[in-house]
Amino acid sequence: MAKSQKTSVGRRGFLKSAAGGAAALATAEVTSPIAKAQRENNAGGSTTAAGVPAPTQEQLARDAGNVRPPAAVRLITRPGSDLMVQTVRDLGIEYAVANPGSSFEGLQESFVNYGNPPNRMPEWITALHEESAVTMAHGYAKAEGKPMLAVLHGTIGIQHAAMSIYQAYYDRVPVVMIAGNDPDFIAAHTAHDMAGMVRSYTKWDAEPKTLDEALLAIQRAYNEAITPPMAPTLVVLSSELQKDNAPNARVPAYKPPQFVTIDATHAREIARGLIEAQNPRIAVGRLRTPEGVNRAVELAELVGASTSTAATNGPMSFPQRHHLCGPGADTAYDYMLGLETGGAQASITGPTLAKIVSARDRDDIGFGGLTGGGGGRAGRGGGRGNVSAPPVEADAEASLPLIIDEVKRQLTPDQKTKIQERAAKHSRANHDAHVEALTKAVDAKRAGWNGSPISTARIYAELWPLIMNDDWCLSSPSGFSGGHNTQLWEHNKPYSYLGGQGAGGMGYGAPASVGAALAAKARNRIVINVQTDGDLNYAPGVLWTAVHHKLPMLTVMHNNRAWHQEFMFVEYMAGVRGRGEDRADIGNTLRDPYIDYTKMAAGYGMAGEGPITDPAKLSAALKRGVSAAKRGEPYMIDVITQPR
Amino acid sequence: MNKNSNRRRFAVGLFATAVALYAQGGGRGAAGIGHTPPPTSPVTGNAANGKALYYSYGCYACHGYNGETGARAFVGNWGNLGTEERFLAFLRGRANVAPIPPSTSMPNFGESSLPDKPAKDIYAYIRTFKSTAPELKDIPTLNAIVESAKQEKQTGR
Repeated sequence: MAKSQKTSVGRRGFLKSAAGGAAALATAEVTSPIAKAQRENNAGGSTTAAGVPAPTQEQLARDAGNVRPPAAVRLITRPGSDLMVQTVRDLGIEYAVANPGSSFEGLQESFVNYGNPPNRMPEWITALHEESAVTMAHGYAKAEGKPMLAVLHGTIGIQHAAMSIYQAYYDRVPVVMIAGNDPDFIAAHTAHDMAGMVRSYTKWDAEPKTLDEALLAIQRAYNEAITPPMAPTLVVLSSELQKDNAPNARVPAYKPPQFVTIDATHAREIARGLIEAQNPRIAVGRLRTPEGVNRAVELAELVGASTSTAATNGPMSFPQRHHLCGPGADTAYDYMLGLETGGAQASITGPTLAKIVSARDRDDIGFGGLTGGGGGRAGRGGGRGNVSAPPVEADAEASLPLIIDEVKRQLTPDQKTKIQERAAKHSRANHDAHVEALTKAVDAKRAGWNGSPISTARIYAELWPLIMNDDWCLSSPSGFSGGHNTQLWEHNKPYSYLGGQGAGGMGYGAPASVGAALAAKARNRIVINVQTDGDLNYAPGVLWTAVHHKLPMLTVMHNNRAWHQEFMFVEYMAGVRGRGEDRADIGNTLRDPYIDYTKMAAGYGMAGEGPITDPAKLSAALKRGVSAAKRGEPYMIDVITQPR
Repeated sequence: MNKNSNRRRFAVGLFATAVALYAQGGGRGAAGIGHTPPPTSPVTGNAANGKALYYSYGCYACHGYNGETGARAFVGNWGNLGTEERFLAFLRGRANVAPIPPSTSMPNFGESSLPDKPAKDIYAYIRTFKSTAPELKDIPTLNAIVESAKQEKQTGR
């Protein structure tokens, strides 16, 4: 890791030239028409009583806005930050999000002014808090399978963002971050090793000393972020590199990363196993990108395997209602392949974060769950309790084309016929299993249907018919609000459900939803955020960002006026100690006063309605909300709910 | 590693598992509404007092505002609540259960925290609870969800 060793000579040199320029301008002013006129006026003896010369006509005209100031001389015609923006643009990054800060003023100016058209690909997104900025990038990446950029302001911005970085890291989500560093401005905003503050939970960082290194560092930060195990990366860029003229610098050619795949022999073995099995099964965990999901579907269809999915746990997994997804016609599977999850005969899973942590957690902080091979998606969405084969450490998504090619090569016409017959049986069985499970689930959702406060099940049930024929994304974790989507909704797109927070940290739902809505905006998609009340109160300013950028996002408050899980914890603890169980509400409830979320939203310019306590009024409100979101007008509905 | 850290790690593991199960919707609601008929045994407490106690003792946090929603619905599953005596025994039944991980299980309510009288008042109140669940045929939204699933063609992407 490079430390910031560069002296400020360059910058001082720049300041010196700027001062020289200013002196030259001052000299020039002596002979300017205004100065001349002023001298003439003074010569005429026109002064105020205090001896101050009276303003000239020209000055008065300029003060009134009737005269343009002289054209400024452009000292910097090709700032380094223009090339930084070009580098980001070439990577296909759609958005850069930041809360403003002086340490990246050069970069921000380039983002908004450089290029034709400026401020497009990436577009500059305004955040009201760095924690929101990084979580927006977190939500965006989960929806799109690729990173956006978060720009942070020096030491203070990085520390504001720290929680979100940790959460994205734990979630194995790619986020590219740039932090500005201005060693000559405010001492408290700079540090010798700025990235060190978050090194234990970023995958890679750099503090380049030259512009050429900086451009390469941005490219590498992108590659490191998207390569398993995916994680946030950070490049610290000095304000000097951003601002200095760089007439001869060029954006280096981009080299995409190499993904580790299984070898050809292993691909052949897996293909043979799937083809020769009478009843193969493919368990699909969380892949990297939508393309990986497409490949998983292609493989399952080629071999007629029933599949399991992690689509009700998070993004980038097998479509839940694909005809092959489900237990299938026969649950005695004789060959099971795991893709980013366990499989009885073969399992391909990317590297865990443990390796990175062991190299980068230099202070031996030892974050729970990250050092023991956990802390990642591997293992989620697994395969019905099967004993797993030792996993091959490779990227399942990148390995899929090899397996598919092998299957295509090995398949005989007879086998193809057999596979089609098997797939048809699976299709019928999976359909029946789905309808049976859904019927059972729906029966349970009747409970408290007409009750007030409103049941969380009714929120999800009423929402589903309103969005089921649209392109939608449920961006908020649903665990605290009953997880009803997992039973009632159909998660068929890679981004249908974005899953949990990563590290279980609160303050995630709203900003992640805004990030998902950034992804949705240009794709005719709407984002549903069923927002727990405690979570929203961490950084509600993100609602303003949604309004400002006209994002297609509906927020439905799961307003139970408490942190109910913690309420239960304290209640239990008081019971163990045999005292004061009628006091467990202290510190765990949000009442006296109740928070008015529609007023909060209105303060940020967001339309909405509520609080709704009558369940009969819910559906119409949700309909209005969905319509508003489709128009790109974020909307909030405050619903007073049952605790869970 | 000392004993405490082992214990803590185990506890955190259990907690994580519990959270994961909960997050996946495990253990709640999916099995359908219970159909145990409401008890008819005698009630001695004061339901009006019990209502206030039901809230102040946080019962609603797990059992919902009328015992039929939330993480631990009991309307239709009256097993431990069949009689006042069984309810009291159930309240006092876990005095020796003190798991290390945070728990959302039924807490113990010892006499020192919830004496018999208010406990009986709570019982009187929850005995007023009745299932309000409409028949499925009377909920068009839920019907439509099932019908839609029955008729749909599965996606092939």
